[in-house]
Amino acid sequence: MKKLTKKLGSIVLIATLGATMLTGCKKEEAKFPSSPIQMIVPFAAGGGTDIVTRAVADAAKNHFPQPLVIVNKTGAGGAVGMGEGANAKPDGYTVTTVCVELTTLPPQNLAPFTSDDFRPIMQINAEPAAITVAADAPWNTVEEFFTYAKDNEGKVQIGNSGVGAIWHLAAVAIEKAAGVKFNHIPYEGAAPAVAALLGGHIEAVTVSPAEVASQVAAGQLKILAVADNERSKSFPDVPTLKEAGFDVAIGTWRGLAVPKDTPDEVINVLKEGFGKAVKEESFTSFMASNGLSIAILDEEQYREKMNAENEFFKGLVADIK
Amino acid sequence: MLELLGHGLAAVMSFKILFMIACGVAAGIAIGALPGLTATMGVALLLPLTFGMDAESGILLLLGIYAGAIYGGSISAILLKTPGTPAAAATALDGFEMSKRGEAGRALGISTVSSYIGGTLSVILLILISPQLAKIGLKFSAPEYFALAVFGLSIIASVSGKQVLKGIIAGVVGLLVSTVGIDIVTGYQRFTFGNINLFNGFSFIPVMIGLFALSQSFISLEDMMKKISIKQTVSRVLPTWADLKTILPTTIRSGLIGTFIGIIPGAGGDIGAFVAYNEAKRFSKHPEKFGTGIPEAIAAPESANNGVTGGAVVPLLTLGIPGDATTAIMLGALIMQGLQPGPLLFRDHGPLVYTIFVGFLVANLFMLILGFVGIKWFTKIIAIPSYILTPVIFVLCIVGAYAINNNFFDVIVMFVSGIIGYIMQKLEFPASPIVLALILGPMAERELRKSLMMSGGEASVLFMRPISAALLIIAIITFFMPIIKILIAQMRQRGRNISDSNNS
Repeated sequence: MKKLTKKLGSIVLIATLGATMLTGCKKEEAKFPSSPIQMIVPFAAGGGTDIVTRAVADAAKNHFPQPLVIVNKTGAGGAVGMGEGANAKPDGYTVTTVCVELTTLPPQNLAPFTSDDFRPIMQINAEPAAITVAADAPWNTVEEFFTYAKDNEGKVQIGNSGVGAIWHLAAVAIEKAAGVKFNHIPYEGAAPAVAALLGGHIEAVTVSPAEVASQVAAGQLKILAVADNERSKSFPDVPTLKEAGFDVAIGTWRGLAVPKDTPDEVINVLKEGFGKAVKEESFTSFMASNGLSIAILDEEQYREKMNAENEFFKGLVADIK
Repeated sequence: MLELLGHGLAAVMSFKILFMIACGVAAGIAIGALPGLTATMGVALLLPLTFGMDAESGILLLLGIYAGAIYGGSISAILLKTPGTPAAAATALDGFEMSKRGEAGRALGISTVSSYIGGTLSVILLILISPQLAKIGLKFSAPEYFALAVFGLSIIASVSGKQVLKGIIAGVVGLLVSTVGIDIVTGYQRFTFGNINLFNGFSFIPVMIGLFALSQSFISLEDMMKKISIKQTVSRVLPTWADLKTILPTTIRSGLIGTFIGIIPGAGGDIGAFVAYNEAKRFSKHPEKFGTGIPEAIAAPESANNGVTGGAVVPLLTLGIPGDATTAIMLGALIMQGLQPGPLLFRDHGPLVYTIFVGFLVANLFMLILGFVGIKWFTKIIAIPSYILTPVIFVLCIVGAYAINNNFFDVIVMFVSGIIGYIMQKLEFPASPIVLALILGPMAERELRKSLMMSGGEASVLFMRPISAALLIIAIITFFMPIIKILIAQMRQRGRNISDSNNS
């Protein structure tokens, strides 16, 4: 009797094991995604890139059968996280939030990858550079500011978010377009630069409008111009540099990408899911209430933009050195 | 304001919010006590949880974690000589000495009370004068930051105990290590050997975990063979009146120092704790006893690092600029809640701000209660046989080092630092100077070069501005005082020897 139970037991066991293995195999062939998708954020939790990614992931949770797990892999100005994302298995289970640094780091020899190592899903957000000064500063237009900068060559102090970072490159691009020379002061990110501007230690910053929005609303700072092709939706009264006759548009952008060999059927699922997510009311209202713009580009448009940015920053970096 | 405070009190006194604060503080203490899991990580880890909550509960949960974790760091610093957070590195100096004498309960009691006083003091200042405080923080430009960093570095001599020369050597090594990474002005790569993981220099937390926690586990591996055990006597958890009287002036001074350091964007609990330790030593009638396990030396850093918590929230709420890495994540949390921190937050969301204030006070109170309730259990950690405890700490070291950036390279850095830390302990080199140098070295270099860039190469800018001049003078005094004292003692000794030989 005992023997029989044992035998029966082992049969049941084998059957269960077999069934699990079979279902396991079946899962492999099942429709993507059959397990959680990891999203790499190459910057720290709480920052702009992190916030945008979390908002997208939150809006996307109803459009994917599997959860989206966000992992912050920080270091080397985004190079560590994006590097890991580029080298991940091209199965769609690792999605990386790529940023403008994807095109600014390689020409500075600061990244072991290029934008060609990724296959873009879509661009989600773009923030232009803006020239922001203290509210009581003597300049009310960007022309006045540039005239002053011309008269005081190399003396106007512009705070940026770190040497070689996007707002430093933006300041360089702006000074090139305006034919002036600034004194570039590097800070440990945008927030300390804004603090220095509030304290009156520097004359201007070139960070995005969103990063100075609360101080502008409080009447402590004012934005003279944005370096974009069109006016900002949050600050419709602020002119663009192009309107003022200075041909420069530069800024940061954030989007989603997967490793370059990811198959079409997988990327199509991702495109569809995230495409629906960015249209969700919760997402659009969140972005608007935080002064963040939504700038959707599909794969082809995004690839084109990346190629153009690669060329643009190659030239700009050569100017710094 | 009273009306708003009343509203805040009423809002906090709901079960849901009190529960959230208690959860936050409890989780914070646990996170802080585990070596490698810092306050910043604790807040980052639980940040996504707050997205689904209302603003009050979410922010207070995070503030509870922040306060709890900064306090919790002292528990492992005292019991295991393993600071759970960088802010508790200074606490390990005297805390572990006291606990080696079998007085771990007393040390934890002092750290609990001091953390409470420092934290509460800073929140009261936050409530009363945060706009004015924020303005002081903004006065800091590159020369002031440079002077503050130099002042911090000058403390190396005073935290080195009896080994002043070895301490200075360790500090210089730390400064050299801190030069690794991309040059902040020219963008040139220094000592990176093209390794992407070194572009930003060595991550400071893995180095600290290695130097303190891992090296300490190597030591306890040795002790395991020798079977040394310390009998802990926890007769009482509340500090005695005598202890309270001794530490009260120190806690208040340190709490104020901590609050002040906290409001300066970019200077956090680690700097605050070391500065307070140094000032406590300077004001003490018996500075030579620092480093041997005395109450004031535990009270000073613990009061200061919790003082930083309230201070760091000042620029966050009033200017929209975070005071340290932890409040930087809270800025994200506020934004996710649809709140734009900054000057208009008080005008547009006054009731919410005061709810946060009152909740922050309650968080400190919970920290005190949970701390005292927990002391008896905390001290049992040391009673765990080291063949169980040591492997657990090993695992925590690895997890902590990895988790800070989710990067395996940091684990290697942690192991190498652990081996170096072990050798240093054997040769009686103090580890704190390296930690100080790694925190402040990059800051000193960066701010010096920035000062010179802003002044057009004019070095006088460092001495002509009142705050930076004052800080630099204090730095010079702080650095040379212990050395001069040793010289004077030697001269006296020599004089005595001469007179002795004359007498004979």
